[in-house]
Amino acid sequence: MEVKLLMKAAVIALSCGLLTVAPVSAQETVKVGMLISYSGISASAGIASDNVLKMFQKKYGSEPGGKKIEFIRRDTTGPNPEVARRMAQELIVREKVQVILGPDFTPNVLAIAPLVTEGKVPAIITGAATRGIVGEKSPYYLRTFFSIPQSVRPMAQWAAKNDIKKVVIVIADYGPGQDAEQTFTKTFTEAGGVITGVIKVPVRNSEFSGYMQKIKDSGADAAFVFMPIGELSLGFLKAYADAGLKNTKLKLLSTGDVTDESTLDASGDAALGVISVGHYSPTHPAATNQAFVKSYLAEFDKTPRLGFAQVTMWDALQVLYAGLEAQRGQKFDPDKFIASVKGKQFDSPRGPISLDKTTGDIIQNAYIRKVERIGGVLQNVEFETIKDVPAQ
Amino acid sequence: MVFLTTLFNGLAYGFLLFIMAVGLSVTMGMMRFVNLAHVSLCMLGGYVMVTAMERFDIPFLATLPLAFLITGLFSIALERLVLRFFYGTDDLTQVLLSIGLVFMSISTIAYFFGPEYKPVSVPVWLTGQIDISGLTLERYRIFLVCVGVILTLLILFGVERTRFGAMVRACVDNPRVASGSGLNMQVIFAMTFAVGGGLAGLGGALSASLLGLDPNFPFRYLVYMLIVVSVGGMGTIVGTLIAALAIGVADVCTKYYFPAAGGSIIYIFTVAVMLWRPQGLMGRKLGHA
Repeated sequence: MEVKLLMKAAVIALSCGLLTVAPVSAQETVKVGMLISYSGISASAGIASDNVLKMFQKKYGSEPGGKKIEFIRRDTTGPNPEVARRMAQELIVREKVQVILGPDFTPNVLAIAPLVTEGKVPAIITGAATRGIVGEKSPYYLRTFFSIPQSVRPMAQWAAKNDIKKVVIVIADYGPGQDAEQTFTKTFTEAGGVITGVIKVPVRNSEFSGYMQKIKDSGADAAFVFMPIGELSLGFLKAYADAGLKNTKLKLLSTGDVTDESTLDASGDAALGVISVGHYSPTHPAATNQAFVKSYLAEFDKTPRLGFAQVTMWDALQVLYAGLEAQRGQKFDPDKFIASVKGKQFDSPRGPISLDKTTGDIIQNAYIRKVERIGGVLQNVEFETIKDVPAQ
Repeated sequence: MVFLTTLFNGLAYGFLLFIMAVGLSVTMGMMRFVNLAHVSLCMLGGYVMVTAMERFDIPFLATLPLAFLITGLFSIALERLVLRFFYGTDDLTQVLLSIGLVFMSISTIAYFFGPEYKPVSVPVWLTGQIDISGLTLERYRIFLVCVGVILTLLILFGVERTRFGAMVRACVDNPRVASGSGLNMQVIFAMTFAVGGGLAGLGGALSASLLGLDPNFPFRYLVYMLIVVSVGGMGTIVGTLIAALAIGVADVCTKYYFPAAGGSIIYIFTVAVMLWRPQGLMGRKLGHA
């Protein structure tokens, strides 16, 4: 009896569905794959992205350029090229997505480059900072994250200008770390500075006290640190404070990853006073950001805390919507999509940004910030702006 | 001076590894059970501590016995409800089962506590440094060494001098004869498991401030723990202690004196020990049972 009832209900539901779908079928549906981390070391980035998607569609609707838009989520599980490749293949071949938001992490970006090129699927990178991956690896890559030199060069220039003569470099020993080391060394020595030592920390590392002693021995005026967001950044800051280096004359300079909002609360007082270079802080005074922060906090509060991950996805969505809007009334075309967003400017919560005319990589401001406690909460407070820094 | 400070930092790290790993060593030696989910118990201890401090304003020191107790009770439940059905199965089954449990624990913790790192704040008197006869030492590490020494003495006393310890030793040495002599193996297994799990929880609580705490904790430390257990030899407490201290000191010292080698020295050390003594430093020759 119950089964029959269910069947009836299903038939009714189905026919209703058909009826409502029929007239709309003239309208094109664009399928968008979200290829980011929903589990593993940066699971919070996945939640952050989902939050931002909700917020974005609330504000700008869900039919850019008169097209229906359907999101399909796939989990890269972190820096995991095999999984990323498999998921990208599934999205492109089986689900037939036309645009991808993501991937995150450099190994994933490299792994799926041939797929997006062959499938002609524009992909907006939301989490890989290696230089040159946009433009070089696939003509269909765009990026709304940042690149290592975009951060590191302004930091080295700022250090040289602010009476810092000798620097010891501490990096996580992998691609982006080496990129950071080379960029800092080149820029800083050209400006007349001296590098007193380079300390390379393995990517899997839980004990820092040996390295802290090395920093103490270095005799430098400042330590420049690059670590990926998460475990290493947190461990470094704690060890730095525990070893008493905070109370010495040595300044701590870092990239924004080390003081990223997602781990800033967990770092606690150890992060106070750290000078970092970054591209977004929730304390950024511009009106666009104030409104953005207000609506995020109203809806999601601190789960997870608002930071760069959210803004990166927000801007990826801005790019997506702009590209679809440019093709209003036409059938979706990937090459036209890419052409229409390259060179375009966007008003982001982080400040003005644009995509490079030739590569599609991001051009954005770099901010020099200092960690301060405001109203009981640790914040990256911007105090100097370097405008329109290219990604190369 | 620098050498002594480095040595001390290494010892503190070693004691931490010891507290986290000793339970694993005993259960592996005694029950021949490969329980990789031991690392998840460490994480649980960490979250018990953080939650007790955050939600219930319990002071840091008081949260430590709480972490021991709750993790210990949880371990009994785990042993009675799941693990005991897999005693005597082959190693692969146990490894797959317990690694599955680790994955489950990661998702469960992420669901309830969120995927981000938990802020861990130890009392002010445990932060910063202190000068002791010319040596500048970190207070929290001094605290770790003290706790480590006390626990080691307690464990050794418990195993060597108490009746329960004697029963545990009997079960490790020869389970068949032990149960033939009327020892209730089930109860002894469960109790040992509880104490081992409790120690894991305590280790996790103590480590959270030094190593950070998030749902991926188990996979970050699983390898270290397995190294400690296999280098020390399964089932030996002294062996586990020596291995943990040696690896702690080797890790910190080589990072200072040979940073170019990265963290690889401890792995080379492990391989060398395994080639020389496959049963571990203090382990008995394999294949007697």
